[in-house]
Amino acid sequence: MTDLLTIAQAAMPAPMPGITLYHYLVVSAIMFALGLIGFLTRRNLIIMFLCTELMFQAAGIALIAFSRFHLNHTGETFVIFVLTVAAAEAAMALALVVLLFRRKETLDASGWSEMQG
Amino acid sequence: MNGMIGSMLMLGDAAPAAAVALPAGPVAALAVVGLPLLACILTGLCAAFKVKSKLPAWITVVSLAAAFVAMVMVYQSVVGQGGGKAHIVHAFEWFNLSWGEGNGQRLIANFSFYIDSLTCLWMLFVTGLATLIALYASEYMSHDVGPGYCRFFAAFNLFVFSMACLVMADNLLLLYLGWEGVGLCSYLLIGYFYKKPSAVAAAKKAFIMNRIGDLGLALGIMLTFVQFGSVEFSVLFDKVRPFIELAREGRFAEIPMSVQAIALLLMVGCFGKSAQLPLYVWLPDAMEGPTPVSALIHAATMVTAGIYLVARFFPFFAVSEYALPTVAWVGTLTAVLAATIGMAQFDIKRIMAYSTVSQLGYMFAGLGVVSMEHLATMSPDQANVALAAGPYHVFTHAFFKALLFLSCGAVMHGFAGQLDLRKLSGVLWMPGWRIVGLAMLVGCINLAGVPFTAGFFSKDMILAEAFSNSHTAAIGWLLLLTAGLTAYYTFRVYFRVFLGPKHYEPGDELHAHDDHGHGDHGHGDHGQARAVAPAAKHDHATHDFHPHPPGWAVNTVLATLAIASILAAGTYFIKWVPGLIATASTAIPVAVHAGHEASGHAAAHAHGTILGMDPHAVMYYVSGVVGAIGIFIAFLLHYVGRTTAATSKADALLPYMGPIPRWAQNKWYVDELYEFLVRVPLLVMAHVFHLIDKLIIDGLVDAVGLAPRGAGWSLRPSQGGVLHGYAASMAAGLGLILLLVMLVMR
Amino acid sequence: MLSPILLYGACALGAVGVMLALPRKTVSPFAIGVLVAAAAFGLALVGLGVSAAQMGAGHLPNIHFYIFSGIALFGALRLITHPRPVYAALYFILTILSSCGLYLILSAEFMAFALVIVYAGAILITYLFVIMLATEGPSADAVEALADYDRAAREPLLATVCGFLLLASLVTILGSGSASLKADPKLALDGQAKLMLMPTRVETILRNARDGVGNPLMKSGDKIARNAQGLPEMKLTGDDRFVKVARAGGNVDTIAATDLPATLKLENVEGVAFSLIGEHPGAIEIAGVILLMAMLGAVVLARKKVEMDDAAKKTAAGRNLVDPALGPASGSGGAA
Repeated sequence: MTDLLTIAQAAMPAPMPGITLYHYLVVSAIMFALGLIGFLTRRNLIIMFLCTELMFQAAGIALIAFSRFHLNHTGETFVIFVLTVAAAEAAMALALVVLLFRRKETLDASGWSEMQG
Repeated sequence: MNGMIGSMLMLGDAAPAAAVALPAGPVAALAVVGLPLLACILTGLCAAFKVKSKLPAWITVVSLAAAFVAMVMVYQSVVGQGGGKAHIVHAFEWFNLSWGEGNGQRLIANFSFYIDSLTCLWMLFVTGLATLIALYASEYMSHDVGPGYCRFFAAFNLFVFSMACLVMADNLLLLYLGWEGVGLCSYLLIGYFYKKPSAVAAAKKAFIMNRIGDLGLALGIMLTFVQFGSVEFSVLFDKVRPFIELAREGRFAEIPMSVQAIALLLMVGCFGKSAQLPLYVWLPDAMEGPTPVSALIHAATMVTAGIYLVARFFPFFAVSEYALPTVAWVGTLTAVLAATIGMAQFDIKRIMAYSTVSQLGYMFAGLGVVSMEHLATMSPDQANVALAAGPYHVFTHAFFKALLFLSCGAVMHGFAGQLDLRKLSGVLWMPGWRIVGLAMLVGCINLAGVPFTAGFFSKDMILAEAFSNSHTAAIGWLLLLTAGLTAYYTFRVYFRVFLGPKHYEPGDELHAHDDHGHGDHGHGDHGQARAVAPAAKHDHATHDFHPHPPGWAVNTVLATLAIASILAAGTYFIKWVPGLIATASTAIPVAVHAGHEASGHAAAHAHGTILGMDPHAVMYYVSGVVGAIGIFIAFLLHYVGRTTAATSKADALLPYMGPIPRWAQNKWYVDELYEFLVRVPLLVMAHVFHLIDKLIIDGLVDAVGLAPRGAGWSLRPSQGGVLHGYAASMAAGLGLILLLVMLVMR
Repeated sequence: MLSPILLYGACALGAVGVMLALPRKTVSPFAIGVLVAAAAFGLALVGLGVSAAQMGAGHLPNIHFYIFSGIALFGALRLITHPRPVYAALYFILTILSSCGLYLILSAEFMAFALVIVYAGAILITYLFVIMLATEGPSADAVEALADYDRAAREPLLATVCGFLLLASLVTILGSGSASLKADPKLALDGQAKLMLMPTRVETILRNARDGVGNPLMKSGDKIARNAQGLPEMKLTGDDRFVKVARAGGNVDTIAATDLPATLKLENVEGVAFSLIGEHPGAIEIAGVILLMAMLGAVVLARKKVEMDDAAKKTAAGRNLVDPALGPASGSGGAA
């Protein structure tokens, strides 16, 4: 059983124990929390989107860590898609930011609060 | 032959499947009931086809005359040939329900008619008077030709049909149907001038007060059914005989309370329908209706329905210890009260209305003073006479009261609605008014009880019975006093209105009734003119107004009624009514007693006396003297030395009598008392419930609506429009969920 | 894992640090904030390390983990606390590079470089472009002045508390299962089996491998032998591994398991390729569609013209502090 695992990770070093996985997950969680705080705190639209990208990053770290833990490449594949989506989202977000900036000449997120109840 | 045809034509079951099988009656009885109904339908069709002639009146008169003729045939058959015993005529099956085999689990109430001599007595004068009054109304209402005319006669016919159902009913349910029907028609006809608020109010008052009485009647009917298991007269009269035996010996304690209560409950209905204390206040207000209505319904027929019920159910009243005394006392007190009020009124129709209430009190007293114990001391003939006093007064009163009302109506019609006796005088001497004046005189002498008139004889029978029963002497004295008052106020009216200097002022309906035949067009125009220049109209009126003497129809009817009233006196001598009573259901107590006559009860007289003398012998003289005193006082006060219409010597006496005349004129404030006791609390309750409805019930509904509004209001701040706010809430939500998961996993 | 007191204490400390570090209108005690946050992070890692060491030597991640993660988190912190957008973007690039390092030690070489190329090289450059584009010109009084919204953080207390609460719960949940987490062998990639699908690759590897003497195991001209059906005759899985080689001279050799080189294994790129294209072909298509739509959308959006003159724009922004006489000069820096 163990040599099956050993052979299976032909490109990977020894199997990762759970606690090491936990180390990576903690890092990912901290980065995610920092990104969330940045999103909630900053008012500059572009910085806010950067913080969302930071959250994507955190997710990516978590995915790769799990991929390594489970000794397959599914997580890495998923990160490719995350990257794709992040890119698309960044493009759209920045286009919108540009438009908004043109309308009001400001990047202040609290400038757009007309849709209130 | 009538009986054979009747039995061949009967539909459904012959007689009710009860213990008593009564012979079949003449089929002409169906005509008596059916003809007014047919006339009602036809006049209703006249209204639908917008007939503008007097056709409805002729239809009515012809149908009612035919009904009268049919009634005479029925009389011949039932009383002449059948000996006055009860006959049943079956029209169709109405209620035939059974839900078990035991007692009280079968309800049979068919459209059958119970015809005995009492029925014949009643129906004769009902149909006769209805015919005459319909003829009178054909001219009286002629200014209203059109839909109103048709409506009047349709309601008129419906009334006669309902009255026929009531009087000829074979069971309590059909009687109740007729009872309600006459109440309905009374409402329709009092409120005939529906554009007048006072008329509408009077109609509502009449109906509502009748309903109060009807509750008692309904409860009485239910109690009857519960107690005896049937509502049919034939069964009931058979089942009450054992109780009559007990009552004759004064053993009321052995008669179950539920049986005694039946009469008490029925009594309440009678008081409502026949306008006795405390439910009489609707009758004077009912004078808002047209005069023919007042004459027919509120003088001669509908108000006698209560007395008919007492007479018909006399066996039940006899077995109830307190019913008959209550009836007597209520009748007496009503008589006195109404007489005092009548003395102080100025509207002649109102005076007549109060006199009707007073005379109805007489009739109730006449039936109430005859108790079983008292009957036990009499011979059968004397007992029949005693029982006949009330019904006989009903009979005579119907004629002369109708006559009085119709005369007043003729006066009102001719003087454009003027009814105030301070504004009319000397009408007898005006051209064309001779017949009216003489007819009114005939009516007045009957009402006052001038010797040898029908009214005199019938009133005397009642007075004699009151005095001859030693327990009811007080009633006798009160009734005697009332007789004096009656004579006074009756001749007050006559001396003021018909005699004395000639003077007249037109009444309020000057422009409405003056130009006959102009109808609505004239009415509309003058209605506006009235609002614009009243002063000018008045001048125009006093200069140009001429009284309008009645036409041939009115005069014919008045003359007929006067003659009938005079002839009715003759029935006294032939003891016609006592003869009828002898075979009616009313006389069941007497029949029961008859078997004991031989044992010597007749000898033990415990009669009361009047001033030490035998009542039957001296009553005529006593009441004649009392009546003469009353007429003489009226003569002194209202005829002698009267030069104007407005005042008389009576006015000089007013200051010495203090506030009493004013109280009497205000009807002793009874209406105000009812307003205070009944209407104000109900109004307060209505306001309270309105508040409850608005605040609590609507408030609850609003509160239910508040919930979504509140929810929305509280959720609104979360939609601030600020991006960070939304992000923070999302993050917070995520954190909370994770916390929850964490705690749950622990 | 970490004891709750340590964990929550570290979170609280970190919260304090981040809050101190966030920009504010007055001078921000950034350095102190960083130190405090770093202390918190250090505390957390030490605690983790201790509990890991208690379980055995092999349970600690190697030293590179600590370096990379430290730099990444520092970069993230600086990203969210730096007032100037450009610097924030640059710090983000630093974070990306450290993440790249983390990926490397997690044996995901391909993703590491993909990350650098795509993220740092494309997305972040785009961000930088837009930052340059959309920064409004400095107001007349100070050239180096920051925009008002950059200067001060918005509700730092609430946001920090929220974030660290979230962090605490995340970490607790993640930790509550990690110790007992075991890799499912069924999910493990059988790299040798995949390699068997690539005979050309095997040939390349064998050609580059040298045996104990120094000769290449396969010379050019040698091919892997094919059987009657044309399938390569080699077995790389299991205990009896062999590769049949058809030498150029014509004879057929067998390289036994003991002779097979250690480099005969699936590269990371190849593994990712098998996973991506072999197991998620549909997702690739969809990703392509997403990218296409994003491209179109961006083009459409960016073309929209907003017809407003400068003064009106400034009024809309509520920042009409500029002297209208100086309009063109001050407005030119920001206009599109």
